[in-house]
Amino acid sequence: MSLIRALSKELEARSDNSLRALFAARPDLISPMAPDFAALAARASARVSVQRALERLNKPEMQVLETLHLCTNADTGHSISAAGLKKVIAGSTLSALDPILAKLQELALIHRAEPPAGSPVTSSRQRFYLPVGSLKDVIGIYPAGLGRSYTELVRLQPAFAQRVVHLVAELHQSGAGIHPASTPMDAALALQRWTSTPDNLRAILATAPERTIGLLDKFGSWAMGAVPQAQRRASVTHESHDVGPIDWLLARGLLVPLDAGHVELPHSVGLALRGGAIVDDFTLAPPVPELGHTSAALRRNAAMGAIAEILRLTGELLFAVREQPLATLRSGGVGVRELRRLAESIRLGAHETAVLLELCAMAGLLRLDVDSSTWVQPPSLEWLNLPRQEQWLWLVNAWLASERAPSLVGQPLTGPTGSAAHQGAAGTTINALSAEAQRPDAPVVRRRILEILHELTVEAAAPDGKAPVLDARAVLQRAEWAQPRMSRRFSSLVRGILEEATLLGLIGSGALTQLGTAIAAAQPEQAMTILGEHLPAAVNHILLQADLTAVAPGYLAPELSETLLLMADAEGQGPASIYRFSAATIRRALDAGQDAESLLAFLREHSATEVPQPLAYLVQDTASRHGRLRVGTSASFIQSDDETAITDLLLEARTSSLSLVRIAPTVLTSSASPRETARVLRELGLSPAVQEAEPAVVRFKRTTAVPGSARPVYTAPRTAPPDDDVEAQLSVLRQHRGVPAEAAGEASTQLGLETLQTAIRLKQAVTMNVVDSLGNSNTETVVPVSVSGGRVRVFDPAKDTERVLSIHRIIDVEPAGELRS
Amino acid sequence: MTDGPLIVQSDKTILLEVDHELATEARHAIAAFAELERAPEHMHSYRLTPLGLWNARAAGLDAEQVLDTLLKYSRFPVPHALLIDIEETMSRYGRLRLEKDAQHGLVMRTDDYPVLEEVIRAKKIAPLLGPRIDGETVVVHSSQRGQLKQLLLKLGWPAEDLAGYVDGQPHLIMLDESGWQLRPYQKLATENFWAGGSGVVVLPCGAGKTLVGAAAMATSSTTTLILVTNTVSARQWKDELLKRTSLTEDEIGEYSGAVKEVRPVTIATYQVLTTKRGGLYPHLELVDGHDWGLIIYDEVHLLPAPIFRMTADLQARRRLGLTATLVREDGREGEVFSLIGPKRYDAPWKDIEAQGYIAPADCVEVRVDLPRDERVAYAMADDADKYRLCATSETKTKLVEELVAVHKGEQLLVIGQYIDQLDEIAERLDAPLIKGETTVKARQKLFDAFRKGEIHTLVVSKVANFSIDLPEASVAIQVSGSFGSRQEEAQRLGRLLRPKQDGRAARFYSLVARDTLDQDFAAKRQRFLAEQGYAYRIMDAKDVGKDVGQEQ
Repeated sequence: MSLIRALSKELEARSDNSLRALFAARPDLISPMAPDFAALAARASARVSVQRALERLNKPEMQVLETLHLCTNADTGHSISAAGLKKVIAGSTLSALDPILAKLQELALIHRAEPPAGSPVTSSRQRFYLPVGSLKDVIGIYPAGLGRSYTELVRLQPAFAQRVVHLVAELHQSGAGIHPASTPMDAALALQRWTSTPDNLRAILATAPERTIGLLDKFGSWAMGAVPQAQRRASVTHESHDVGPIDWLLARGLLVPLDAGHVELPHSVGLALRGGAIVDDFTLAPPVPELGHTSAALRRNAAMGAIAEILRLTGELLFAVREQPLATLRSGGVGVRELRRLAESIRLGAHETAVLLELCAMAGLLRLDVDSSTWVQPPSLEWLNLPRQEQWLWLVNAWLASERAPSLVGQPLTGPTGSAAHQGAAGTTINALSAEAQRPDAPVVRRRILEILHELTVEAAAPDGKAPVLDARAVLQRAEWAQPRMSRRFSSLVRGILEEATLLGLIGSGALTQLGTAIAAAQPEQAMTILGEHLPAAVNHILLQADLTAVAPGYLAPELSETLLLMADAEGQGPASIYRFSAATIRRALDAGQDAESLLAFLREHSATEVPQPLAYLVQDTASRHGRLRVGTSASFIQSDDETAITDLLLEARTSSLSLVRIAPTVLTSSASPRETARVLRELGLSPAVQEAEPAVVRFKRTTAVPGSARPVYTAPRTAPPDDDVEAQLSVLRQHRGVPAEAAGEASTQLGLETLQTAIRLKQAVTMNVVDSLGNSNTETVVPVSVSGGRVRVFDPAKDTERVLSIHRIIDVEPAGELRS
Repeated sequence: MTDGPLIVQSDKTILLEVDHELATEARHAIAAFAELERAPEHMHSYRLTPLGLWNARAAGLDAEQVLDTLLKYSRFPVPHALLIDIEETMSRYGRLRLEKDAQHGLVMRTDDYPVLEEVIRAKKIAPLLGPRIDGETVVVHSSQRGQLKQLLLKLGWPAEDLAGYVDGQPHLIMLDESGWQLRPYQKLATENFWAGGSGVVVLPCGAGKTLVGAAAMATSSTTTLILVTNTVSARQWKDELLKRTSLTEDEIGEYSGAVKEVRPVTIATYQVLTTKRGGLYPHLELVDGHDWGLIIYDEVHLLPAPIFRMTADLQARRRLGLTATLVREDGREGEVFSLIGPKRYDAPWKDIEAQGYIAPADCVEVRVDLPRDERVAYAMADDADKYRLCATSETKTKLVEELVAVHKGEQLLVIGQYIDQLDEIAERLDAPLIKGETTVKARQKLFDAFRKGEIHTLVVSKVANFSIDLPEASVAIQVSGSFGSRQEEAQRLGRLLRPKQDGRAARFYSLVARDTLDQDFAAKRQRFLAEQGYAYRIMDAKDVGKDVGQEQ
C-alpha cells in the first residue's frame, strides 16, 4: 500500500485531540484548509512540510528518526519496533524510546506498519513503524552522519568501482583476511564483510600509523571530509614505513575518494567505529554548559547603563539625521563614507553606528524618502516625546520583529551559495540598510535565543546575588541539542543577536537581565515597570564653566539639549553630556535667529551656576560683530548719488507696487524685476539705466511628505494556529468521514510523485498518461530515472532513449506491473 | 544607583562634581588610578589610561578595588565595556616580573606561560634575553634591563621590576628642620617613593618639590646625582640644599657648561649631559662612572630623549622623578613610566591649594584694539609675520604702562617673547630687562634685588620660563607668548603661584590683540588655564583702570 494512503488511513483513525496536537505542532498542514484526510496525508508527506517539522525536533528525537530511517525499507515492508531500535541506539531504553516514537507518530513523521515478513510471532504484540516517504530526501545522504555502503559507493562512484577489485586483490596478497573477488560488486561485499564488526575493525586498525584513530574520530559525526588529493594512488604493496594515515586508510578502502578533494567513510566502517551502534551518544538530558557567574549588581549596572546609552545615542543619531539626511547608494543601502560621516558626527565607531542605524530604521524612526533617495526622520515622530521606558520598549519590540540582521553590516559580501559568480568584488562588504542584511528567519531565531537564554538561566540556578554568564558557545550548544536542524542558521546570527541584546539591556554583564527575562516571557509591562523604577530621571539644568563648556550631569531633557546643540558642540560620550561653546557655535545660534540676550537668558535660566564671565563675554562679543555684512534678497536695486531723489522715490505713491526698501542713503531695493522697476520709473518721467545681470537662480526647498511612523507592536512569531482554524479544519475533515479516500485533488500529485519515486528506487517501469503541447493525451510505458525541479527524466525502452517530461503534463501514473496484473 | 559625585563616561573619562558632599572622598579614591585632566570650577574630569591603571597596580591596587570605587561613587550605571577594559588592562601589569636570581642573576619570570612565549618571540626583545632556564623563567642581560622594560611596555605587558637596587656609596645627609618642617604631603610623597624604590612624584608648581628631593636624599643617605633643566635652576637647588640639609658647600658640586665639579652630591644640567662631540656624549662618564645611590630628575616632563637613553642603563640605581605634570607635549609618558618608574605620589592640586600652601591666581585677558594702520599692516602681512605684528602692537606698550601704574608698589613681572618689544617696554618703564644675552651673574643679581624688593618691576624674556624662583612676584603681565604652548603657560603661572606673605591672590594679565592670531592663541590659553582651575576673566582695554580701581 502506498505510504500516503497508509498515513491517510492512520490520520483518519486518530482522535480529535490527537489531530489537534498535530495541527498545533505542524500549523502548515492546515493552512490553507485541507479538504480531506488524503490531502492532509499528502501534505504531511510533502518535502517542505517534513523539513519544517524536522526543524522542531531535538537531538534524541532526530537520532531516533534517523535510525528508524536507516533500519527500515518501505519498499520491502521492512519496519522496525522500539525493541529493534534499542539494539542499534547505544544507551537507549524502551521507556526512553516509546515516548519519542509516540511523538514522532503524532507529528505524522512515522506511522504504524505491519511487522516485517518472517518476524517471530512474539513481535506481533510490539508496535512496528515506517517513516513517511519524503524523509529520505529531507534527511540527505548521510543519515545519522553515517556514510553509504560499499555496494552503493561502487554503484555511484565509477572511479572507485574500477579500482575496488584491484584493491581487494592487493589486500588479499598482503595477508589481510579478505576474500578476493572478480566483480566490483563482489569486492564491495568482501570489504563490507571485512569491516563489518567492531572487532574486525579493531584488528585492522591495530597496525595503523599513529594519528589514524584521531583522524577517524573527525568522521564521527559526519561521513564526508575534505582531503587534499583524495584520488592519490595509495597501495598496500608499495607502502613505506612512515606512511601517513590518509594513505594508509585509502589503500585499505577504509576511506573512499569521492572527487579530487573529498573522501567518504563507508557505512560499515562508521558503524564499526561506533561500536556497532548507529547512535553512540544517546541521552535525553540536554548538555549543561559550564557557566561563570556575575553579580546581580553588575548585571543591573550594565543593563541600565546600556539602556541609557542606547536611548541617548538614538536621540543623537536622529538629531544628526535631521541636520543632514543620509544619502543612499545607487545599489541600495548607506555607503561606507556616508556611514563614517554619521559616525563622526555622533562620535561613535563605524560598526556601532551601523548597528544603531539599523535599529533606528527597524523601529521606523528613520524612513527612506523615495523621492530624494535619502533616509530621513519622519516628521512628528511620536517616539521623541515618549517616556524613556516606552522608547526602550518601542526599540525592543521593533528589534524582536525585524527581519534584518544588523550585525551582518560590514561583513564580507558572499553570494547565496558561495559560488564565484555571485561573490562580490574582493573587499566588498555589506552596507548598512542594504538588502543584503535581510534575514527572514531572524525573528524566529531571536525568539529561540531568548528562550534558550531563559532556559539556561533557570537551569543554572545561580547562588543568591549571582547570575549565570551566558555566551554564544553555551547558546549554540543548547540550540544544537534542542533543534539540530536549525542550529546552522543560529550559528551565523547568534553572536550578533547577543550583541544587540546587550545593547538593549536584555543581557547585562553577560547574563540575562530581569528585563530580558520579562521580554523572553512576553511580559513587556513587567519590563517597563522595572525600567521605570531604575532609569534616572532626566535633569533639566546644566553647569556652565569658564573653560567654555556646559556639563549636563545626567540625561538632559531633549528640548534643552536640542537648544543647547544649536549654540554649542557636543563632546565626549557617556551618561553626562558635555557641550563646548566657541565663536563658531555662537555664530550658528545667531544665524538661526537668536540674539545675545536670548542666548544668555536661556543659559541663565537653565544653569545651576552663574554664567561665567568669559562665556558671557564670548556671547556678547560674537553677537556684537555678527551681521557686519548683511545678506538679503531683492529682485532689483535703484542706486543714485542724489540722496534727495532717492527719498522722493520712496515717498512717491506710484512706486508702492515696487515695495521699495532703503538699505543705504543712496540705495533702494525692490521686489520687482529690473524691467518692471525701470518701467515704473520711466512712467514717473525718469530715465533709469538698467544694468543687465545674470538672472538669479532661485531654488525652493522641496517639501516632501514622508509618512509618519507607527509604534511597532510585537507579536511573537506564530508557533501554533488559532483555535478557530483548528476546529474548522477538524469539522471539515470529519464531514468526509466514510467517504473513501480517493486519489483526488492535491493528494493525487503527491501520490503520483510517490509512485514515481518508488519506481525509481526499484527501477520499475510505469505507465503514464501524458498530455503533449497540443493537448493530446498519450499513454506510454517508461522507466523513470530521476525527479527534480518539476521535471522527470525517463528512459523509454521502446525508443531506447532518455527524455525529460514536465510533471505538470503527467495526468496519471501507475506502476506498469499493476497495470499488467 | 547611588547619588554619587562621579559620572563615568564611556569615553574613558570620569567627571567629578566638585560641589558634591562626597567629592573630596571620591577625589582621593580615584586619584590613585585616574589622571586629572581638567579642573574647571564645577566639574573636574579625570582620564583612565593604561599607564594610570598600571600606576595604580604598581601602588598595590587591584582591578576589583578600582571597579568597586567606580561603582560606589558613580551616580549612574558605569559603562560595562569600560569595567571590562579596566580589568583587562590592569591584569596585564606584573604578569612579567624582573627578579634577581641567586644563581642566574637578573631574570624575567612569569606565572603565565603564554605571555612569556609571546614576548620572547617579539623581534626586538629576543636579543635582550639570555638562555631560557625553564618554562617560566628566562635570563635577562643586566645591561638591557631598562630597554627591556621600555619594549615590554610598548607591547602592553609592563613588567614589574623587583630586581632591587645597588646601595651606592653611603654619604650621610640629614634634613635640617630648624624653623620649618616637612609638610605632611611632602613626607608622604617621600615615603611612597622610598617604598616603591623608584618612581615619579607629581606636585604642582610651588608645592615644594625640591624638599621632596632633599627628604629622599636624607632617607637614602648616599651620594646623589641631581639632573636639572638649566644652570639657574642648579644654583637654586644648591641654595635650597644648603639651607634645608646638613650638606655643606664642599659637599655639593655643580656640573654645568661653566663648572665641572664632581662631589658627593652633584647637580648637573640636562644640557651638559646631552652635549655631543664627535658623535659621543663626553660627559656621560659622570652618570655611569660613579657609584650613585640616588638619581633625581627635576622637571621630568622636560627630560630630553638622550637622557632617556642614558637612564635605560641606570636601572639598578634608585631614581626619583619630580614634576608638576605627567603630560608631555611629545607624548613620551610611557618612557617616563618604564624608565624612571611609576607614579608614586600625586597630590590633588585643589587639596594643596585648600591647605594654603599655594596661592590661587586670578587670570585676566585684556583685549586691545589694533589701531587702523596696524590693522591694515596685519591684514596685508605674510602669514609668517602675522603673529609678530599683532603680538607687538604698540597699544600693548601703552597698556602695560597703565597696568604698571595701577599696580604701583607691587612686585611686577612683564613677560614677552620679542626682544624689540621688551626693550621698548623696559625703556618706557625704566625697568631692568633680563634676556638671553644677560649673564648668569647679572641675572642672579637682578633676581636677588627683585626678591629683596629693591626693584619692583622686572621685564623678562623667555629665559624666565623655567625653574627660577621669584617668590614675591604678585603681578605678571604677558605681552606676547610663543604660540600658546600649554607647558609654557603652566610654567609662567608657576612663577606667580608661590604663596604670598599676606595671602593675596596673584594676578596674571595677558594682553591680546582683538581679531588676530593673538586671540586664537589666547583662546587655547584660556581653555587650558580654565581647565587648570584658574579663575579667568576677559575685559576690554578701556575697562582696565575701572576694574582694578574698584577692587582697591
